[in-house]
Formats: sequence, C-alpha cells, structure tokens
Amino acid sequence: MKRYGEHRFPGKLFVVEGVDGSGKSTQLMLLHHWLQAEGYGVVFSEWNSSPLVRETTRRGKKKQMLTPATFSLLHATDFADRMEHNILPLLKAGAVVLCDRYIYTAFARDVVRGMDRKWVRELYSFAVKPTAAFYFRVPLEVAMKRILEGRSGVKFYEAGMDLGLHEDPEESFHIFQGKILEEYESMIAEFDLTTVDATLPIEEQQTHMRQIVKAKLTQAKRLRVAP
Amino acid sequence: MRETYSVLLPKMNLGELTGRLIVIEGTDGVGRSTQIKLLRPWLEQQGHAVLDTGIKRSQLAAKGIQQAKEGHTLGRITLSLFYATDFADRLENEIVPALRAGFVVLTDRYIYSLMARAIVRGLDPAWIHNVHSFALKPDATFYLRIGVDDLIPRVVFSSGFDYWESGMDLYPSEDMYESFRKYQTALLTQFDAMAQEYDFTVIDASPDIRTVFERLRAGISRVLKGEPREPLFAVPAPAVADAGRAEVAGAGKAKHPGADK
Repeated sequence: MKRYGEHRFPGKLFVVEGVDGSGKSTQLMLLHHWLQAEGYGVVFSEWNSSPLVRETTRRGKKKQMLTPATFSLLHATDFADRMEHNILPLLKAGAVVLCDRYIYTAFARDVVRGMDRKWVRELYSFAVKPTAAFYFRVPLEVAMKRILEGRSGVKFYEAGMDLGLHEDPEESFHIFQGKILEEYESMIAEFDLTTVDATLPIEEQQTHMRQIVKAKLTQAKRLRVAP
Repeated sequence: MRETYSVLLPKMNLGELTGRLIVIEGTDGVGRSTQIKLLRPWLEQQGHAVLDTGIKRSQLAAKGIQQAKEGHTLGRITLSLFYATDFADRLENEIVPALRAGFVVLTDRYIYSLMARAIVRGLDPAWIHNVHSFALKPDATFYLRIGVDDLIPRVVFSSGFDYWESGMDLYPSEDMYESFRKYQTALLTQFDAMAQEYDFTVIDASPDIRTVFERLRAGISRVLKGEPREPLFAVPAPAVADAGRAEVAGAGKAKHPGADK
C-alpha cells in the first residue's frame, strides 16, 4: 500500500478545490475540453460519485443518519472506490485524470465537523499526490452570492445543519462555509496548493490554469491519444 | 473512565458509560455466534440487560456492504472503509447508548477482525490501526482460538466454504479449500499477534460447545464482578491435525464420527 507522494505513474492528475460557488467546476470543464482538443486522453472523476456507495450515502443523507464520523468514513469509502478502480489504473495507463474535489475537501469538511485533523489526513494517506492541485480562492461573500442567487435553497448536510450552527439553513450555510474557507487557507502551504484568484474573469483564470497544466504536460507528450 | 484507542469522536462523552463491553473474537466458523446465543439468555437470567451486536449489522451500511460484496469490483481499501463505516455507526448509535444505559454489550467480533482482514489483504497496519483508533477499549476480549485443521471440518459440515471467508479475492487461482487454508492461516497469525498486543483472554475453542461455554461464562463472570481475570492462557502451539472435532459446527447440526471425544 503506497502512500501520498510515493506513487510514480506515467499519467497526470489535476484536481480543483474550493468552497461551493468558487467557480472551480466551470474551470475544470473548460480545461477538460481544451485538453481533449489538444489530443490528450482525459478522464474526469467527481467527488462522491462511486456507484458502490451511492445508495448508502443517499439513504444516510435523506434520513439524516450521518454523524461526523460516518459522514467522513462514507466519503472516504466513496473516494477509495474511485481511487482503486478508476484513478489509479488510469494513471498507470497514462491518462490525464481530472478530479472535481479531492482529499482536501474531506480535510476541510471533516475537520470543521469536529473530526481529528491528523486522523483524517492519515485516513486518506492512500491517495495519490496530484500533479497540481488548484485552489480557487474567493471571498466568502462572493461565493455566497453566486450560490444563493442560482438556487432555491441549500441541503441539510451542505449547509452544515448537522452541526447545529444556526437554525436558519442560509445562516448555517454561511457560518459553515466560512469555517471551511479557513481550513482551505491553512492547507495552501501544507499541501502546496496552486492558488487561483477566483474573482478574476473566467478567461483569465483559465489562461493561468492552462499555462500551469501545459508546463506539467510537456514532459509527457506520449499522453496524447490523437495527433 | 472509559478510553478509546486514540482519537475521540465529536460529541462522544466517555463519562458514565457504566455498562460492560465484552468482545468475542475469533476466525470464521470458530463458534462465536453459537456461544453468543448461549451467553445472552444466561446473562439475562442473571438480570443483565444485553445488547448483542456484530459486524455488518448497522442501519446505515449493512445493506450497502452486502450489495458491494455481491459484485466483483470491491477493492481492498474500499472494503475496509465500508466496514469501518458500519462499525462507527453501531458504535455511536448502539454500543455507546447501551453502555450509558448500563447494558452488557456482547459484540460478535470487533475492530480486531476488521484489522486482521485488512492486514492479510496487504494494507498498511499503521493505516488500518489509525482508521479504527476511535474505537472504545473493551472491558474484555475473549479470543476463541482454533487451529486451521480443527476449523476446516467445522466449516465443511456447517455452511461450507464461502467466497470471502476463503479469501478468494486474494487467491483467485486456488480452489476454495486451498484458498481457505491459506487465508485462515494468515488470519490466525494476525489474531495470535493481536492477542498479545491487545491483551485478549485466549480460550481454546477446539473442545465441545459446552466446555467452551463454561470457560467463557467463568471469564465473563469475573469481568462483571470486576474481579481480576485468570492469568492469560498461553497461545497454544498449532493444534495437531484432527478431523474429529466438528461438533460446534452449525450448533451441532452436523455430528461427526468421533466428535465426542
């Protein structure tokens, strides 16, 4: 069982992180299209999407059965399934793997929910260290405005309602996201995250991302699947 | 005051957990559930309220694990973490509330089986220990110990070989008998090592059901009275091949020539 940082694969792994409303998914989608157009074999993997665990997570959330511990372990199970069956073999095969959220999402959320900081990091030590991890840095108010304008409400766990921070879901969401933002900020140095200013125009952020990704891929021309 | 192995889960108050947490450990087919079926009424007759629980019985994850095991895409890390989720759910929602209410909690396996299985599957021992480090330290762990040669007839004449209990995910090229031998031998080695590390009370599980039950009863009585236990049984040398000890299998369903010796 190899640990974070010990893996050596021909493929490359790029991940995006940040609070909800930071614009990271949009940026990853643009990067994905660009890489495909450039001829790379690209695969996308999303947080909390393992078919093996889906039904359990869905039930746990719907019935509000999840505690910080089971919330954490269930998401780790989901991640492990994607790591073992998706991400690892693809990296071995030389693909460019793109992840919307990665272990840093768990570190932020689980620690805010009261799980032990060291325990969570060790829990995910089987994860592959990304080639680059982009952190979309945005002030809380900007992210909140983007999120709440686009939708009718926030879900129970998304708003951190299980923590009893506030009885109003929107207020709870605000407090919860603020705490998550603090965790992210503390991880920039710890995990060498590449910061992207998520208040800049979309095109500028994308240009910045592509420059960094391109530099990492120049040593890996064989990842191209088409001329 | 009760302790965990290392980390404390959020909102878990370790004060006033006045019940007793008693673990029955041992490999597949050794007779754990048979013994628990006998222990429960015995404890209840003495006026104890009993919760009996075991692996893969959580509200949250039992069904998901079952479904995952029926497919063929379950990875080793994923499997371990799914079981840890099941354990955490039962710890928080069953075991701790029962201990707070003063119950005797009898658990059919605990984190030790989960760790042994993971280590045998090649996962890092330090990693799997950390995963389970939020577990409560039990009041006592009774390890029903048996050699592989004594175990095989019990399994053959009760449930037969099971895919996962035979470690077929580990040794897919072997037949089930060979795979079962290898896998259970590897598990026993892990259990024996843990018997020292975690201070198990070792009970020789090769005699008949009644004898094992009496030994367990004596051990549990001491725990409940708060008396010091008997000096640790030494882990016996691997049992000699002996096909005649199949009695416990399936609660005596399959009597076997020579089973009564």
